[in-house]
Amino acid sequence: MQRVSTRRELMAGGALAALALAPPARVRALIEEVARGRLAGGGGRFLSAVELGTLRAATARLLPGPPEDPGPGALQVHAAEAIDLMLGALDLDPPLIHAGGPFSGRAGGSRDDFAHFVPLDAQAQLGWRIRLEGSRGLPEREFAGPVVGRQEVYRSGLARLDRLSRRQTGRGFAQAPGDVQDRLLGSRDAIVARFVQAAVADGLQALCGPPEYGGNHDLAGWRGLGWRGDAEPDGYTPAQVSEPDPPTGIVADVRPAATRTSSGPGTSTAPPAATAVPLDSAFADPARRRVLAQVAPLLLRGRRGRALGTGVRTGAP
Amino acid sequence: MSRPSIVIVGSGAGGSVAAWELARSGHPVLVLEKGRNLLPGLGGRGPVGTLFSNDEVKAQRFFEDQDPILEPRTLRTVPEARRGVARSFIGDVNDLPTVVGGGTIHWDAKVPRLWQQDFKGLSLLGPIPGANVADWPLAYEDLEPFYEEVEAQLGVQGDLSQMPSFTLAQAPRRRQFEMPPNPPMYAGRRLAEAAQQLGYHPYPYPMAVNSRPRDGRPACNSCGFCSGFGCPIHARGGAAISFLHEAIRAGAQLQSRCFVHRIDLGRGGRRAVGVSYLDEAGAEHRVRADFVVLAASAIETARLLLLSAGPHHRDGLGNRSGMVGRNLMFHYFSVGAGVFAERAHSWRGPATTFTLDDFVGPVYGSPARAAGLPYLKGGCCEVGGGTLLLEEANLYAGAGLRGAALTGALRSLALRDHITGIQLNAEDMPQLSNRVDLDPRIRDFRGFPVPRITHSQHRFELAAAAYFAPLIQQICQTAAPTAETQLIGRALAGAAGGHAGSYHTAHIMGTARMGDDPRSSVADPFGRLHEVPNVVLADASVFVSSAGFNPTLTIMALALRAAREIGR
Repeated sequence: MQRVSTRRELMAGGALAALALAPPARVRALIEEVARGRLAGGGGRFLSAVELGTLRAATARLLPGPPEDPGPGALQVHAAEAIDLMLGALDLDPPLIHAGGPFSGRAGGSRDDFAHFVPLDAQAQLGWRIRLEGSRGLPEREFAGPVVGRQEVYRSGLARLDRLSRRQTGRGFAQAPGDVQDRLLGSRDAIVARFVQAAVADGLQALCGPPEYGGNHDLAGWRGLGWRGDAEPDGYTPAQVSEPDPPTGIVADVRPAATRTSSGPGTSTAPPAATAVPLDSAFADPARRRVLAQVAPLLLRGRRGRALGTGVRTGAP
Repeated sequence: MSRPSIVIVGSGAGGSVAAWELARSGHPVLVLEKGRNLLPGLGGRGPVGTLFSNDEVKAQRFFEDQDPILEPRTLRTVPEARRGVARSFIGDVNDLPTVVGGGTIHWDAKVPRLWQQDFKGLSLLGPIPGANVADWPLAYEDLEPFYEEVEAQLGVQGDLSQMPSFTLAQAPRRRQFEMPPNPPMYAGRRLAEAAQQLGYHPYPYPMAVNSRPRDGRPACNSCGFCSGFGCPIHARGGAAISFLHEAIRAGAQLQSRCFVHRIDLGRGGRRAVGVSYLDEAGAEHRVRADFVVLAASAIETARLLLLSAGPHHRDGLGNRSGMVGRNLMFHYFSVGAGVFAERAHSWRGPATTFTLDDFVGPVYGSPARAAGLPYLKGGCCEVGGGTLLLEEANLYAGAGLRGAALTGALRSLALRDHITGIQLNAEDMPQLSNRVDLDPRIRDFRGFPVPRITHSQHRFELAAAAYFAPLIQQICQTAAPTAETQLIGRALAGAAGGHAGSYHTAHIMGTARMGDDPRSSVADPFGRLHEVPNVVLADASVFVSSAGFNPTLTIMALALRAAREIGR
């Protein structure tokens, strides 16, 4: 039984039922309450209904699925709901910041350790409070200068998008035509730009990250991208390491967790999909070839320490 | 207990090895670590657990990494410093994990030895204009037994029979590796074959990874989440799992979330009597010890020496030479990249399985003369690395892709399946102007001045990169002779970003170099501060040169040597 930790949760109605669930089912239930509009006012756990609608629309343009792109996009993986959950992560106990380990049950093992989030100690909690809530002028948070929190980045960005849209089209951002939405998202406005940067980064975590964080709904992100995800404790055979993958790849390895374990966010009845395009067309598109040239200078900036990447710098100038 | 008591600052590569040595020989040992312990059961009777996993999101959320919001560092270039700019950046400046186990908690465990010439740069190769080249006060032969001992405890895989004779001439080994190499990663194997075709000498990368079950830990199964991720099955050795675990079982005490902010001195300032630290709740403590071992990593060790300034050490503890904080080195990374038509999955495996030493140098002649240098040096190469899914996505986002261009690239370009690379870990020169000092204004969340890094590359590194990078790219082009490799090669050649990473290399050395002369060095050949000999440096702060090799094995060997000297 999880502890209800804030007034916000007590007010959140349906959330109480979700909090009573075992950890593997819990995040899924929290997300679905939001996805299905079951919370009071149809809003999110942190964002209001209008904000959540704007965020859904914005992430759907930034990370589109069908029809713009045949693969999975923000809507299919529940990116907006996952971002909402992240923004309010500290309202739950343990906070939904760091999934547990070592195994998820998707690649062997019998349980989903990921779903048992790791508690933050006081120091880690302070860091995440500042990151999410901002420094708010508090001396104990401004030892290295003021910090604009993630919540404020989203709140102000969503409000700015909505206001710009109403001024230009008479309708809210979520109701504006796609080309108008794209133009607004590409605006040089600093509030919009920092929102877009955050929404892309957080949206990609929802598209490409483990489902325990609330995104990658039904593993749609990994299935659509031909990605197995976490591989322990089964790992790979020497042949899988030393020989190239067949053109259809290892997508079929992503089995619904239900076939191996009793429950978990990966539980799904959907069959594995293999949507990888034929290899000879992968680089045929000139636009895609241009991308290669664009990413080349960034190859040292992936995750720190990997052979092709040495770290994303964080922090303010 | 009559043996001298020891307090060790930091539980990473140096601190854990020192604790292992000293606790087993009966010293009372206390290890103070400012990070959390994410290995439940460490030091207990049962198996060691872990909270690490194949989770790219957690890895981006400062699970084990220092949180730059709480503990930022600041940065400026040398020209900025000359213009009086106090700092031009606040945040993550080559941060290492801040956690029990230190940087080795998510290293890829590559453990090359330094070469004989790396210890005697000044006398064998000569000075470099504008750099502070010096000989180490010890030779390869002094360190060799400690390399062996550390390797035996870590468990190292490799294959002596495949190592080139020039490597073995410079870094002689007495015996075959304990374990055979991991299954070769496909992309790395293709690159190694191409390198061989071009006349180079690739070989299996020595690494502290189990290729067979050992000491109750399983063999690596090539999950692919290696460098930058804690090992979920403990197939990879490291400071915590290979050393600290046994140290605690032998009686060492580990206290996590304890931040040491001062080394306390006795009257006269010639001996340390212990350290002052804050615990997790912010409460101030003092602990007394006969010896203080500093192993907080080069930047933090220099910071602590500077924070410990006092009446007898006005410019920082042991800093009469003015060398504390100076000669900071990061290595200089260059990459080549190839794009295979087939699905080469270069991320799958223990980061990389091949290395080559053909670009270590020195290289004399026109490439060096053109840069006004007597010689060039590079370093070892990590052959065949790749990128995971979220990393790939961040590449596209970082290049400014949005919308269908971004999701389309992830779905159909799928670089994670096709791209691979070679990274050159090149030696960078020690320079007096590359240094750590205390930022005059910025504080961490506890209220202590943060380390300020002042750093610019020497033309030595830039000239070496200009010379070696095309050779690396040629290997990639030979292995993956596609139009896409050509395209990416042209883009790399035209982009300074192809040779970047000074602040993100995770190889941090210098700041308190060892030497025989107290006027030009901070510590003696056993890591003891010249001015306060019961303070012992046991991390990469004592490195005199950076050499072109991953530094951790050498940190461990130096720490073992220093700890054994304490126990004598």
